[in-house]
Amino acid sequence: MEIRIANVSKNYFSEGKRITALSGVDLTIPAKQIFTLLGPSGCGKTTLLRCIVGLEMPDSGEIAIGEETVFSSEKNTFVPPEKRGLNMVFQSYAIWPHMNVFDNVAYPLQARKVPRDEIRRRVEKTLRFVQLEGFENRPATRLSGGQQQRVALARALVAEPRVILFDEPLSNLDAKLREETRKELRAFLTALKITAVYVTHDRIEALSLSDTVAVMKDGRIVEIGTPRQIYFDSDRRFVVDFIGRTNLIEGKATSVEKDQTVIECALGVITCNQRSGARPGQQVTVSIRPEFIRVIKGDVQRMPNVFRGRLESLVFVGEACEGEIRIGTTLLIARFDATAVVREGDEITLHFDPDHCSVLSA
Amino acid sequence: MNRERTMHRTSRALTLGLLVTVGFLTVCPVFMLLLGSFSEGLTSFGRFTLSKYVQAYTDRAFAEILLNTALFTLGSAFVATGLALFLAYLNTRTNIPFKSLFGIISLVPMMIPHILFAVSWLLLLNPSNGLINLLIRQMFNLEESVFNIYSLPGMILVEGLLDLPIAYLVLAPAMAAFDVSLEESSRVCGASNLRTLARVTLPVLRPAILASVTLVIVRSLASFAVPSVLGMPGRIYVLATHLYRIIATGFAADYGMAAAVGMSVLATSITLIYMYRYLTAEGEKYVTISSRAYRPTVIDLKNARYPLFLIVGGLSLVLIVLPVLVLLYTSLVPYSMVPSARAFALMSAKHWTAVLRDPVSVLSVKNSLFLGVVGATLGIVLSVFVCYTIVKVRTLASGILESLSFLSFSFPGIVIGVGFMWFFVRTPLYATIWSLLIGYIATYLPYGLRPLTSAFVQIHSHLEESSRVCGGGTLYTLRRIVVPLLIPGIVSGWILMATMFVRELTLSVVLSRPGTEVLAVQILRFAEDGLWGRLSALGIVMIAISTTLVIIASLIGSRLTRVEVGNRGRDGVVG
Repeated sequence: MEIRIANVSKNYFSEGKRITALSGVDLTIPAKQIFTLLGPSGCGKTTLLRCIVGLEMPDSGEIAIGEETVFSSEKNTFVPPEKRGLNMVFQSYAIWPHMNVFDNVAYPLQARKVPRDEIRRRVEKTLRFVQLEGFENRPATRLSGGQQQRVALARALVAEPRVILFDEPLSNLDAKLREETRKELRAFLTALKITAVYVTHDRIEALSLSDTVAVMKDGRIVEIGTPRQIYFDSDRRFVVDFIGRTNLIEGKATSVEKDQTVIECALGVITCNQRSGARPGQQVTVSIRPEFIRVIKGDVQRMPNVFRGRLESLVFVGEACEGEIRIGTTLLIARFDATAVVREGDEITLHFDPDHCSVLSA
Repeated sequence: MNRERTMHRTSRALTLGLLVTVGFLTVCPVFMLLLGSFSEGLTSFGRFTLSKYVQAYTDRAFAEILLNTALFTLGSAFVATGLALFLAYLNTRTNIPFKSLFGIISLVPMMIPHILFAVSWLLLLNPSNGLINLLIRQMFNLEESVFNIYSLPGMILVEGLLDLPIAYLVLAPAMAAFDVSLEESSRVCGASNLRTLARVTLPVLRPAILASVTLVIVRSLASFAVPSVLGMPGRIYVLATHLYRIIATGFAADYGMAAAVGMSVLATSITLIYMYRYLTAEGEKYVTISSRAYRPTVIDLKNARYPLFLIVGGLSLVLIVLPVLVLLYTSLVPYSMVPSARAFALMSAKHWTAVLRDPVSVLSVKNSLFLGVVGATLGIVLSVFVCYTIVKVRTLASGILESLSFLSFSFPGIVIGVGFMWFFVRTPLYATIWSLLIGYIATYLPYGLRPLTSAFVQIHSHLEESSRVCGGGTLYTLRRIVVPLLIPGIVSGWILMATMFVRELTLSVVLSRPGTEVLAVQILRFAEDGLWGRLSALGIVMIAISTTLVIIASLIGSRLTRVEVGNRGRDGVVG
């Protein structure tokens, strides 16, 4: 079910101060996709989610789910959450402690007065789907974190909602369980072909789970794209910096062609094989991620994007090595193979992959 | 949009209504007390006058009363806190056997009303025919009695035992939350167990100990049962009994002078309660409560295990079993005598039939039962709304509400009674049961609020929101999520209030009039007339009523919480 959000704004008043949570958000969330709202804490992502589900009311704008307008400040429409036909997994899971697993999962059906036999059938089916068969009579308080998470998911799925929303559902799990659950969740959602809106501040979660990612900042959507587009192609400084580690190099554009921009900077000349909106002579920032800086052997001075520097430090982090390289006064971070034969203090030759040097626009 | 606005309007109306109600209950008696202390007479205020203050504070006996009060309150505080520290330490930090006994000791004040506890000690230790005194006199052929309960030490001992549970409830959690590594490092530095206790454990617990002392001082300052039953026969007056003397004995009750004396009691009490609040807030800073799960190291008592347990066991015997036994025994024998074959032969239901035929006693049972059931129910309904506003609405007004309801925690019953008297005498409520009901709720509101606040805090807003998202409307959510989660808090709040109301004495001695006698006041009358047999019979009726109410409320509570289990059975397991 497609969700259309038009010009939605929301302000809070806290201790006499006005805090803008959402300012004029326009967004269309496509149907049957996993759509992630990603951003630092306080960017408004949870507020947006709560506006969609109906737990908060925007100050202005319009929200439509499928054909139905669930909120409109102009038409004075507000459909309460229980009539929107959505469901949500909360950060705290919100498992009701006075009920067992069965009643927690059956609740959405009981609230809609579904016949008892059908409730039983559907709860059983859903519990089987999330691999919690046989847990029906377990008190909700006697479940592990991962099991609670799956009960919350089962409860959200059982009534076959039009849209399912997730508010940082993995943030209470430990690192290993979080990784497993992330994969499981992706498998569940892909199998169901359901529209899912997912809120997180964890970039790895966003990249690995989503079909589409929207990055938010200060109550606005900054950029929307597939995980790859966001990671590789973004030309916004905030997005590039937020989505992963990167080196930012200041310089001046000397020539701008269709698919190639040449930049002069303190290191020398950098060639970027990406489309950019820069004008020749303009001050620009180039971003190159650590994994696209490579050590090369032999005399390759004639190639573009090759620089010599000194390896200041090298830290082994398991699957790779992270090095700090000084070229003149610039300190760069680079990611090498764990087996690379370089040592601290070595003079090394580096190559920047021109396909992954991006010129930032803002 | 309309929905949110209506919600805002209802919650604002609710907050306002509660502010008015709670404000009336707490501010009205204080204000009337103040007004009364500057007035000429109870029925008509007359001109503004300072004469009542002059009269009250230049009384020659007043200095002695103040001294008695200071000794009585401080003495009780030391007895109660000392015993509580001992018990709390044994329970939380050592391997003493039968730890469940400690929980029972902390529940005692719900079972034994203070006036009966004081009377039972009087029956054991009074100099003319106290059972223990008689026994010792017979055994050693003495002329004089050894113990005299009609003395300051006697009053301090009994009050200290009565306030022991409250001190224990303050100290035990602090002791349990104590960061053991502080002690361990002392042990590592070579200090012995005892030295560690004196140099590390007790100093770190100082805020909790001070809080306990403060709280017991407030309680014993307001205490009326012990000073009236044990102090007045020996002419040892403290402020509470002095107030009672001014309004209830002598030729003319002087409510103006009572108000003037009451003002200083109230001021002391409020100051102490705010000090207590400050101390407990500070305490959270000092006592290091770490979030990691740890078990405090348990100190092995070795050979001292059972002797120490005997002390604890003896203490609980003295606290619970002895008073009930003494009352039961006294209600059956014709006059005070040491238990013997002859005493058992003389036993009869004489006092019981006398009480059951006494119209005033029967009326007092009816009145107390009504106040217990209806008062606690109304009180708990008010508490639910007040708690909801304090915990969930959280506006400026709800902050004021919290302070107001906390204020009444410091109200000494007899003083508030005088304040309410100045108010009720101007209304048709005067001398009706409703005046008692209003006074009770005003004074005991915090007892309903405490368990409900923790219940409300436990209901995370996500629990309600997820019900809405799952398709449950406001009422459905209330019925299936909010109410079931609140029931344990409602039940314990109701039990606390009902038991307090059934035994209420201090407020009632002021507000009760012919026709509105209540159990505790009638028991006090019997005590004043020396009718110990009838007193004991009525006292046992009182204990029976309290216990029955506790049991019924607990049963209803578990039945209501089992509704969910019932649903489970039908929807889930069957088939």
